[in-house]
Amino acid sequence: METNLVPVTVLTGFLGAGKTTLLNRILTEDHGRRYAVVINEFGELGVDNDLVVDADEEVFEMNNGCICCTVRGDLIRIVGGLMKRAKKFDGIIIETTGMANPAPVAQTFFVDEGVRAKARLDAIITVVDAKNVQARLADSTEAAAQIAFADVIVLNKLDLVSPAEVEAVTARIRAINKFAKIFPATRSDVPVTDILDIGAFDLSRILDFDPDFLEVDDHGHSEGVNSVSLQVSRPIDAHKFQQWIGTLLQEKGQDLLRTKGILAYPNEDRRFAFQAVHMIADGDFVGAWPAGATRNSRLVFIGRDLNRPQLRRGFEACQVPA
Amino acid sequence: MSDTAVRQSLLESRGISYELGAFVVGAAFDRAGTQAAFGLGDGSIRIADLKAPRGLQNYVAHDGAVLSLAADARPHGFVSGGDDGRFVRVGPDGAIQALGAFGAKWVEHVASFADGKGGVLACASGKNLHMFDAAGSKLKACEHPSTVTGIAFDGKGKRVAASHYNGATLWFVASKTDGGKQLNWKGSHIGVAVHPAAEAVVTAMQENALHGWRLPDAHDMRMSGYPAKTESLGFTRSGRFLASSGADAIVLWPFFGGGPMGKPPVELAQIENVLCTRVACHPMEEVVAAGYADGSVVMADIATQRVLRVSAPEHGPITALAWSGDGAWLAVGTESGFAALVDFAKR
Repeated sequence: METNLVPVTVLTGFLGAGKTTLLNRILTEDHGRRYAVVINEFGELGVDNDLVVDADEEVFEMNNGCICCTVRGDLIRIVGGLMKRAKKFDGIIIETTGMANPAPVAQTFFVDEGVRAKARLDAIITVVDAKNVQARLADSTEAAAQIAFADVIVLNKLDLVSPAEVEAVTARIRAINKFAKIFPATRSDVPVTDILDIGAFDLSRILDFDPDFLEVDDHGHSEGVNSVSLQVSRPIDAHKFQQWIGTLLQEKGQDLLRTKGILAYPNEDRRFAFQAVHMIADGDFVGAWPAGATRNSRLVFIGRDLNRPQLRRGFEACQVPA
Repeated sequence: MSDTAVRQSLLESRGISYELGAFVVGAAFDRAGTQAAFGLGDGSIRIADLKAPRGLQNYVAHDGAVLSLAADARPHGFVSGGDDGRFVRVGPDGAIQALGAFGAKWVEHVASFADGKGGVLACASGKNLHMFDAAGSKLKACEHPSTVTGIAFDGKGKRVAASHYNGATLWFVASKTDGGKQLNWKGSHIGVAVHPAAEAVVTAMQENALHGWRLPDAHDMRMSGYPAKTESLGFTRSGRFLASSGADAIVLWPFFGGGPMGKPPVELAQIENVLCTRVACHPMEEVVAAGYADGSVVMADIATQRVLRVSAPEHGPITALAWSGDGAWLAVGTESGFAALVDFAKR
């Protein structure tokens, strides 16, 4: 991992879910780290911090032929501006407005060379109000998108719900995104070190974040956003995979919110890690396969209207002949 | 360039250098030509007296980082904007006067204009462009649909252009009722230059290209082919060429004989695989100074295409580059806090 890049954490969640409480904890708790915070609802934060930046969420569409490639221009400027500061900080936290789609923030860190040279996307944290999230999922599309994009979910306000409700909400979240780490919380009381600088977007750590990779997908949640995980045992033909995934992202990219994978190439001892946010993809060789490990290739999709049989056939066809 | 040339760089033979310890965001000379200033990431403005430039005075202008620096519209002193949301005037003696305070909105761009009769100051904060007279009294605020990403005056100080999402807006400085002329082109525009005779407005774009509008008919011009974003652009004094960063050479687009439409740019002072990060057109001659990501600084004569090395590739990416009004001094600053003044006066 490039340690000289400033880690950036994106904090999403609906109004009232507990984002500001979490931010206040991050800024006031004694963890020995200094964060620059980019916020939208200025004034809510009751903390005196000279590294709080007031931003307008300014999204624009890149003129690069990629229809869903939207980017936050304000963040490009702010990251550039913060880098001029002599007083150093350990990371940047970007709070989005309640109804924000996380995609433009994430895509900013893939698309802009200047930002990439200075900063890296660390993780997307979504604060979920356990009491109200079912209603938000029913009356908005943004709630599902925020959960789908999350690497970390802070399942908050657990003091307001029964154990049965917690179970139902957790199942609902898992149906959308089974790979995020879920932290149960009351008043956003999660250990700050567990959610900041965790490298969730780091290609070499993609595997760490999907504990139930091998489980079969849930059925009965076919509406809206869900996850599909695939596994194949024969090595992947790199060229075939690039062609297939490239076409898939081009055609279905608007519905594919996040894609992650670890691939075994023939006669290659290193694992190839792959990830994409909508149509924008990134991939590289990461560490070697552990000695004696089964070299299964795995791929995860989180998105809308995922056709599991079609995706599976496509991925299976990327294998080298038996 | 040979090692000999590196050892005998102009910076060493005719320059004074400084280690300032913070990101050099901008450099400027006052209009009287008596002082040079560097604006830094630690919020300070360092001022050198050109008669005795060895020592720099250190004045704290902002609580945070300086984001932009320009000469004052008056003969002496400077104006700066910072991430503390303030627009300040820094007197030649270091006296700090706040001209505007915009809270949590950074003041990312400042500019000034002066002629014999008077002057005007401008700063951008958030979506607004604020204008002040030379005395520092507010003239007006102009609002835009999104954050202002660059401001530039024309050669006569009559109009000022602001870049933003989906184009640029051209404002008459003196008009109280003017709604601004909209120059539209979809996308994120991140910087702006105005032709000295107001024949064109050109913006830099997020997609590694420039966009221009010929005036007054707003005919669109596309200038593309850059490997990186153009962070620095400006017209030569005559307006014949637009100099720009964003490639591994100085890219100069011809604005005469029907250009830049259908004409290739002139590329000077190529340093292979090293990005040009700053350009500064000489105030008197058709000469451009350029700084690169490896710390190199060159000056190039456009007519003869002769290139002179000013400084060797060291000290980190060039982030500030400015000529004095008489063209006798060049100020240089880098990301790592190195700064220099190079004396080009005839001896």
